[in-house]
Amino acid sequence: MIKSYFDNMVDGIEKSLASGDASARKRYALSVARLGSRLYSGKDKVAWCGVTAPFDLLNSMGVTSCFVEFIGAMLAGMGAADPLLGKIEDAGYGPDTCAYHRAVIAAAKDGMMPVPDFLVATSAPCTGGLAVMETLAREFSRDLFVLHIPQTDDPDSVSYLADQLRELTDFVAFHTKVPFDMEKLRAASVLTNQARKLMVDAYRLAAAKPSPVAGKTLNNFGVVVALLLGTQEAVDVCRSFRDEFARKVERGEAGVPGEKLRLLWIQNRIQFKNDITDYLENEWGAVVVADELNAVTFGPIDPDDPFPGIARRSISIPLNGSVDRRLENLLSMCRDYSIDGAINPCHWGCRQGTGASAMIATGLKAAGVPVLNMDVDCIDRRNFAPGQIKTRLEAFIEMLSENKGV
Amino acid sequence: MSGYFLGIDIGSLSCDAVIIDKSGRILSASVVPTGARNREAIERATGEALRDAGLARDRLAAMISTGYGRDRVEDRTAAVTEITCHARGIFELLPDVRLLIDIGGQDSKAVALGPNGKVVDFAMNDKCAAGTGRFLEAMARALGVDITELAEMDHGATRELTLSSMCTVFAESEVVSLIAQGMPENEIVRGLNRSIASRTVSLAKRVCTDPTRSVVAMSGGVAHNKGVVRALSDFLTTPVNVPPMPDTVGAYGAALIARDRAV
Repeated sequence: MIKSYFDNMVDGIEKSLASGDASARKRYALSVARLGSRLYSGKDKVAWCGVTAPFDLLNSMGVTSCFVEFIGAMLAGMGAADPLLGKIEDAGYGPDTCAYHRAVIAAAKDGMMPVPDFLVATSAPCTGGLAVMETLAREFSRDLFVLHIPQTDDPDSVSYLADQLRELTDFVAFHTKVPFDMEKLRAASVLTNQARKLMVDAYRLAAAKPSPVAGKTLNNFGVVVALLLGTQEAVDVCRSFRDEFARKVERGEAGVPGEKLRLLWIQNRIQFKNDITDYLENEWGAVVVADELNAVTFGPIDPDDPFPGIARRSISIPLNGSVDRRLENLLSMCRDYSIDGAINPCHWGCRQGTGASAMIATGLKAAGVPVLNMDVDCIDRRNFAPGQIKTRLEAFIEMLSENKGV
Repeated sequence: MSGYFLGIDIGSLSCDAVIIDKSGRILSASVVPTGARNREAIERATGEALRDAGLARDRLAAMISTGYGRDRVEDRTAAVTEITCHARGIFELLPDVRLLIDIGGQDSKAVALGPNGKVVDFAMNDKCAAGTGRFLEAMARALGVDITELAEMDHGATRELTLSSMCTVFAESEVVSLIAQGMPENEIVRGLNRSIASRTVSLAKRVCTDPTRSVVAMSGGVAHNKGVVRALSDFLTTPVNVPPMPDTVGAYGAALIARDRAV
């Protein structure tokens, strides 16, 4: 089912691009669909991974890899998560645990995920994800490599993780029977740096007033584009966004005409079909111009010594480390994007994310940025009450509009 | 500007209508049960308010709807959420209020207001309707009394009884069990009031860290229940002001917004 979903998606988008729809979002969707298609092709070496795995390193070693939460999000987007969630609950997994992870385990048990050649877990951003990787390794009877991601960006931590990454190359080479090639990683690092620079430029342009983005333009972008790092595909996708935004900014063209309010979305988007961003834009001119996870928090990698730079990138992600560091990043985004208010969809079952919600709300409010904490489940739509959510969103937007005088 | 202004608040338990003139003076207010058919309740509440004000429908210059059924009012000028409407209403009635607690049929809200009466922050109950009007309705049923009787039933109670569950279904069983154990009804009702208050206070503190430094008020149908108001006041360690006809504050705010927007 999933293989044909990706294959059909590739066909559909290629036709759409051929007929003249050359939007950056379309270009990006094609790359993601192609990645999905390769994962399920049965031809590629495949690794299921944790969110902060070094995808450029894996790409340089010829491994098609993906973090497992991607599958949970995709199933929700397809409207296929609900029966799987029900099944896995029947099997004894508590409904109060993360639905991304429940959906992934259910998909694996249902034969909806290809058996990988190996797995690479990461201890960040959450221990729940680590446990899922252990579960999957047993389910697939495949070897698991665990990357212990330190929580602080200091020389010892970077060195500790860089050493693990070097060990990972041996692990991968053992399983793929292809030796690690430093030249390939050097080339991948150059491409990662190019993509990174284009991302920085694209985000800077997205912060323009009015913003060239609509709420869906960069939906899930920062997390998913990481899967393409180290490839020309990532560079091309990032360049598409950068160029599209540059054209729009030059023409003064808004992603949403009549932009009145600029919103920051904290952590993950809601992955199943919902009309929240359309509703905000159409009814209120309120645009999600920034996502917490669409931020470049890492520096360029030294192609001649790439491991420390890759390590620093994994350590730097907003969901790793102290809440203070996360808050600092959010405050910086609020300033850069001239944010009027932030929406935090507190994902049911996410102890790691919701545990920080009160501190984040307090910190942002102290800086004059109102915050709406929404109790939702980003994957399990059975936990979604549209009427309740609409009232909270509407009241929040009324408050922002009234106080901004728009 | 001429004519009159109608605010209509369609809640899960009651449908409230208020008509004001251009000065903001209340001409009439009606409260009817919402029941299963929203449109009938809207018609009835509007009809009663117009009749009591002695007005024909065509004298209404604007109408704002609010409450969970706000989008079902077909001839509305606009729909506005109950958070904004309750804030507007209480600001007109008690301008010094900076923290408003509204407990309605299925929602509890805490709203922080600025000196200009604008909403600066708010918090609502999440996935559960425990501690709302529906919860009290179920508890009254378990006690075998009318919901209006609950308001004074805690008199003379002193025990620190608390219900171990706030789930409406489990709490109802617990009340039945307490009755069977011979627990006096006033003590049970006090326990219920304190359970509701403790839950509501945590909402209030999310938007106002020190309620003792704010003027606090309560609106919504549950504000008729003096026991709950007393319990809230105890937990907040500050007086909780209740305006006359607290259940119509939202509709009044809606009418004021209709008037304000027409200016």
